[in-house]
Amino acid sequence: MSQDVMTDPGKRPVLQVQNLRTEFRLRSSTVVAVDDVSLTVHEGECLGLVGESGCGKSTTGLSIMRLLPRIGHITGGKVLLGERDLTTLSEAEMRKVRGNDVAMIFQDPMTSLNPTSTIGVQVAEPLRIHFGTHRKAAAKRALEMLDLVGVPNPRERMDDYPHQLSGGLRQRVMIAMALTAQPKLLIADEPTTALDVTIQAQILDLLDRLREELSMAVLLITHDMGVIAGRTDRVMVMYAAKAVESTSTAELFEDTRHPYAKALLESVPQLTASSSTLLPTIPGQPPDLTNLTGGCRFAPRCRHAKPDCGTAEPTLEELEAGHLVACFHPVGSEPEPAADAPELAAPAPEPVADEAADEPAAELPTVVQRVQAVLGITLEPRPAEPPPAGPPAAAEPVGAQAAADPMSAPVLVEIERLFKEYPVRRGLGLGFGPPAASVKAVSGISLTIRRGETFGLAGESGCGKTTLGRIVAGHEHPTAGTVRIDGKEILRLHGAELRRGRRQQQLMFQDPYASLNPRMRVGAIIREPLMVQGSGNRRQQWERVAELLGEIGLSRRAMDLYPHEFSGGQRQRIGLARALALNPGLIVADEPVSALDVSIQSQILNLMKRLQRDHGLTYMVVSHDLSVLRYLSDTIGVMYLGKLVEYGPADDVYDAPAHPYTHGLIQTIPVPDPKIERTKEKAAVRGELPSPVHPPSGCRFRTRCPLAQELCAQQEPPMQVFGPGHVAACHFPLQPPTTLEPPPGVQLAMTDPRGDA
Amino acid sequence: MIAYVIRRLGQAVIVMFIVSVVVFGILHLLPGGLVRAQLGPRATPLAVHDLTVQEGLNKPLVVQYGIWAWHALQGNLGFSYKLNQSVASLLGEYLPRDLLLVGVSLLFAIAIAVPLGIWQGYRRNRPDDNALSTIMLIFYSAPSFLLAVCLIVVFNIWTNLLPSTATNFGANVGTDVRVLALPVMALCLGNVSYFSRYVRSATIDNLLSDHVRTAIAKGAAPRRMLARHVLRNSLSSTVTLVGLTLPYVLSGSLVIEALFNFPGMGLLFWNAAQDRDFPVLLGVVLVVTVATVVGNLLADLGYAALDPRVRLR
Ligand code: SF4
Ligand code: SF4
Repeated sequence: MSQDVMTDPGKRPVLQVQNLRTEFRLRSSTVVAVDDVSLTVHEGECLGLVGESGCGKSTTGLSIMRLLPRIGHITGGKVLLGERDLTTLSEAEMRKVRGNDVAMIFQDPMTSLNPTSTIGVQVAEPLRIHFGTHRKAAAKRALEMLDLVGVPNPRERMDDYPHQLSGGLRQRVMIAMALTAQPKLLIADEPTTALDVTIQAQILDLLDRLREELSMAVLLITHDMGVIAGRTDRVMVMYAAKAVESTSTAELFEDTRHPYAKALLESVPQLTASSSTLLPTIPGQPPDLTNLTGGCRFAPRCRHAKPDCGTAEPTLEELEAGHLVACFHPVGSEPEPAADAPELAAPAPEPVADEAADEPAAELPTVVQRVQAVLGITLEPRPAEPPPAGPPAAAEPVGAQAAADPMSAPVLVEIERLFKEYPVRRGLGLGFGPPAASVKAVSGISLTIRRGETFGLAGESGCGKTTLGRIVAGHEHPTAGTVRIDGKEILRLHGAELRRGRRQQQLMFQDPYASLNPRMRVGAIIREPLMVQGSGNRRQQWERVAELLGEIGLSRRAMDLYPHEFSGGQRQRIGLARALALNPGLIVADEPVSALDVSIQSQILNLMKRLQRDHGLTYMVVSHDLSVLRYLSDTIGVMYLGKLVEYGPADDVYDAPAHPYTHGLIQTIPVPDPKIERTKEKAAVRGELPSPVHPPSGCRFRTRCPLAQELCAQQEPPMQVFGPGHVAACHFPLQPPTTLEPPPGVQLAMTDPRGDA
Repeated sequence: MIAYVIRRLGQAVIVMFIVSVVVFGILHLLPGGLVRAQLGPRATPLAVHDLTVQEGLNKPLVVQYGIWAWHALQGNLGFSYKLNQSVASLLGEYLPRDLLLVGVSLLFAIAIAVPLGIWQGYRRNRPDDNALSTIMLIFYSAPSFLLAVCLIVVFNIWTNLLPSTATNFGANVGTDVRVLALPVMALCLGNVSYFSRYVRSATIDNLLSDHVRTAIAKGAAPRRMLARHVLRNSLSSTVTLVGLTLPYVLSGSLVIEALFNFPGMGLLFWNAAQDRDFPVLLGVVLVVTVATVVGNLLADLGYAALDPRVRLR
C-alpha cells in the first residue's frame, strides 16, 4: 500500500517514505521494527510521528538517515528525497546526504555533543565536511547560526565546551549544528523530552520559527500528544511497528478513529481533569514484536476488538479524504462498547514474562482468548454500565479520603523553616578550609501536609524539590529547620526510635530500572524492608510479600523473577510494593511515572490512587509534570530556586494561580488539544534557571518574570493569602490578595516566628 | 587548570611525605638502625658510636627524620657497604639506563596499541578483530619472562639476528640499539596487549555514544569520525591507564633485566636483595615510589589536558 495522506497540491513533497520495512536481526530471531510504513513531508510542513516507546517511530527516523545500529537493516520500501531513493545509495553517497540534505537532532543534548571539542568547531563541522569551507569562513557562519538559534553572547560561547552550557542551550547548539548546511528536511527525535517544560516551549517555538524562516520540512518524533497538538500540521500514530492512523492534526484530535489513538489520548492526565476520577487506561502492554500471533496487534488491549480482529491484520484504509485508519471497527462506526473499567479493585494479575506459556488457553492462542485472559471480560458487546464486580466506574469519586474535605484532616507532616545548602569547594581541595560558596537547594520552606491527602510539589529541575522530598523521607539531613511527622521530629530520632520512625515514611524512586537491585529476586527485594525492620517471622514475611504482589497486580510467580524480566511499569509497581511493605503512613514519590509511557503511566497513577484509598496513605509527590500532579494532588506547592512561591488547594492553584511563575508553568504545558495549543502565548517563561549558588536578590524569579519591577529586586516578596489555604509570594500577584488567615504551618513573612504548632 | 595542577601537586607532595616516613620507619627498624645500614653489620662499636653522634642519631626521632629527609632531599640516600659506593651514585648510574629501557618500550607500546585498539574497536567482532584479540590475549596472559624466552629463541637462537644479553650495553650507540631490541620488545608486547584491549573497549564505548551518532548524522566519514570524535575521547582514559602502569612497568623490568643481564635497576635490586644490602634496596623502593607518584600526576595532567570537562572544572 503506497497510498499516502493528503497530498497538498500547493507544496512540493520533500520526503516520501514508501512501504518502509526495517528489521533488527537478533541472535535468535528477527524483529520487524518498522513494518510497511509510508509517509510524506512537504516543504515547510511539520509531520508528527507519535507513539509509545518501541513502536518504531525513532527507528523510522534512523532508517531515513540510514543511521541504524549494526543489527538493523532496511529490507523493503523506498525513502525518496526528491527523486533519489536513499535506500539505494552507497554509503559514500549517503554521507553527502546526511547533515547536508537531511539533518537530525536527538533526544539528549547532554550526550549528543562531543565533550572534547568546542561549540564553534562542532557547529561549523557540517560546512567543513560538505563544502570544504575554510575554517575561518565556517566559524563565521557558525557564529551566525548560534545567533539565529538564540544562544546569548554567541561570540563567547564559540570557544566553550558542551559541559559548560545548560541543557536548553545545548539543544539550541544541536539545532544550530543541524541547520548550518541548510538541510531541506530536519528529523527531530524527541528533541525536548529531556528538557524542562519551560525550556521545551522555548525550543519548540524556535523550531517553529526556523521552519517558517527556512521553509524546511520537519519530521517531529515524539511521545507527547500535547507537543503534537501544538506543533504539527499532520500526524501519524504508530503502534507496534505499524502506522495505525494518519491524518491532519486538527482531524486527529477532533475525530479520532483508531481505538489505540483514542485510548492514548484519553489516558493522558488533563490539566483540567478533576483529581477525583480515575484515569481511563489501556490495559496490558504492547505486544512482543519477536512473537506476533497474527491479527490486529492492538487486539489484546482493544476495547473495540471483535472476533475478526484476531484473524487478519487491518491495513491503512482511507475513511475520509486524507484520514487513514488501520482498523476493522473504527471508533464511531459502530456503537461504543463500555469503557473498560480501569484498575478498580485489585486487578487480575498481569502475566509476567513467559507466564502466558503456562496458561492452557495459550496453547491455542486465539486473540479472543488472550483478550479475555488479559481483561477478565467476555467479548460480547457489553451494556454501557459498570461491570457487575461493583467497583466504581471511571467517573466516580475515588474513596472517601479524597472526597471528604481535605482541609479538615489532621496535619501529618510539618516542615518548618527548612534550609539545605551544599558547599561548593574551591581552592586546593585538600579537604580543609571553608567552602567558597554553597548551592542553595532549599531556602526556608515551611508547609504542612495533611493526613490522607496527596501533596504535589512542582518546579523545574534544579529548583530543590527533589532535595525537599529526600529530606522529608529521612534520606538527607537539612542544614537547618525541622520536619515533624505525626508530631515527632524525624531528625532528632536515634537508634530503635529512628528505625521505627523510618517505617513511617518511604521513598519511591523515579527510575524503575536503577532503583531495583538487578541481582536480587523480586520477592527478596520486597521482603528486604521487612527483614531490616525485623517485622514478623520468615513465613509471615513471605506471606506479606505475596499479599503485596497481589495488591499491585502481579502474580505470585513474580517473586522468583529478577527485575530485568519486567517492563518499566511492572518495575514501578514493584517499587511501590517495596515502599508499601511496612505499612508506612507517608510515601514520598519522586517522579513516580516520568520514565513510563503514557498508557503505562495511567495504570500506575490509578494504582497509586487505589492504594491511597485502601490504606489511607499520605503521598508527597515530587514531579516536573504538572498534569500528573494535577491528577494526583489535593494540595500543590510550587518551588522556584529553593523557595516556595505558591501553595494551596490544587483546584485553586491551577484555576487561578496568583504567582506569575505558576501561571507560566501551567501555560507552557503542552495540552493535547490543537485549539488551545494554537492560541497560547508563546513560551510563557523566558530564559533559564539562574545559578542556585548566587540566586537573584529580592524575588528569585525576577530575572525571568514578565511583571518584574524595581521593588522585586530590592525586597523579597512576602507570602500573601489568596483564598482558603492558598498562598503565594509575589509583589504584583495576578489576583488581589485577601485578608483570610493563612493555612497552618505557612508563614506570611520570613521574619515572622511561626504561629501555631 | 592552574588551580587543578596546584591541587594535584599538593596531593603528590603529601603522598611523598607519607612514603618517606614509611621508608624512614623501615630503615629505623633494621637491626642497628641507620648506622648499621650505612656501616654494615661488621663495623666496630667505636665506628658505630662516632657515626651515631656525627649523624645526630642519638637525637629524638622527629629530629632524626628531619636529618634523614634533609639528606635524602639532597640526594644522600646512604652508603652501600657491599658495593662500596653511595646509594645515590649507584642509582645515578643505573636509573638512566632503566628510564631509557622503560621509556622506549612504553613509547612503542602506545604507538602500536592506540591505532590497533581503535582499529579493533571500529571493526569490532569482525574476523580481523577476533584474530587480533586472540593474539593479544596470548601476549596478555603469558608472563613476561616467557615472552622474553620465546623472543630469544626466535631472534637469537634460530635466526641469530639479535644478541640475547645486554651486558655490553653502553659500548656505543650502534651496539646499544641491537642490545636494547630484545628487552624492549619483551617489555613492550605485554603492554601492547594490555593497552590495546583498553583502547578497543574505550573506542567501542565511544562509537556507540550519542555524540558519535551525531557526527555520523552530520555526514562525517569514518576517518573523520575516528580522528575527531573517537581518538581524543579514547585517549583521555588511556592516558590514565599508562600513567598508572608506570610502576608496574618499572618493576616488570626487574625480571626482564635479570633475564637479559641488562645493567639496570632491576639487576641492582636483584643483587642487593641477595646481599641484604638494605640502603640500596630502600633507595630503589624510594625511586619506584617516586615513579608511581609522578606517573599518577602525569596521568591526571594528561587526562585534564585531553578532557575539557576536567580541565575547566
Ligand atoms: S482492528 Fe479490531 S482490535 Fe484492532 S484496533 Fe480495530 S477494533 Fe481494535
Ligand atoms: S515579586 Fe516581582 S519578580 Fe517576583 S514574581 Fe512577583 S512580580 Fe515577578
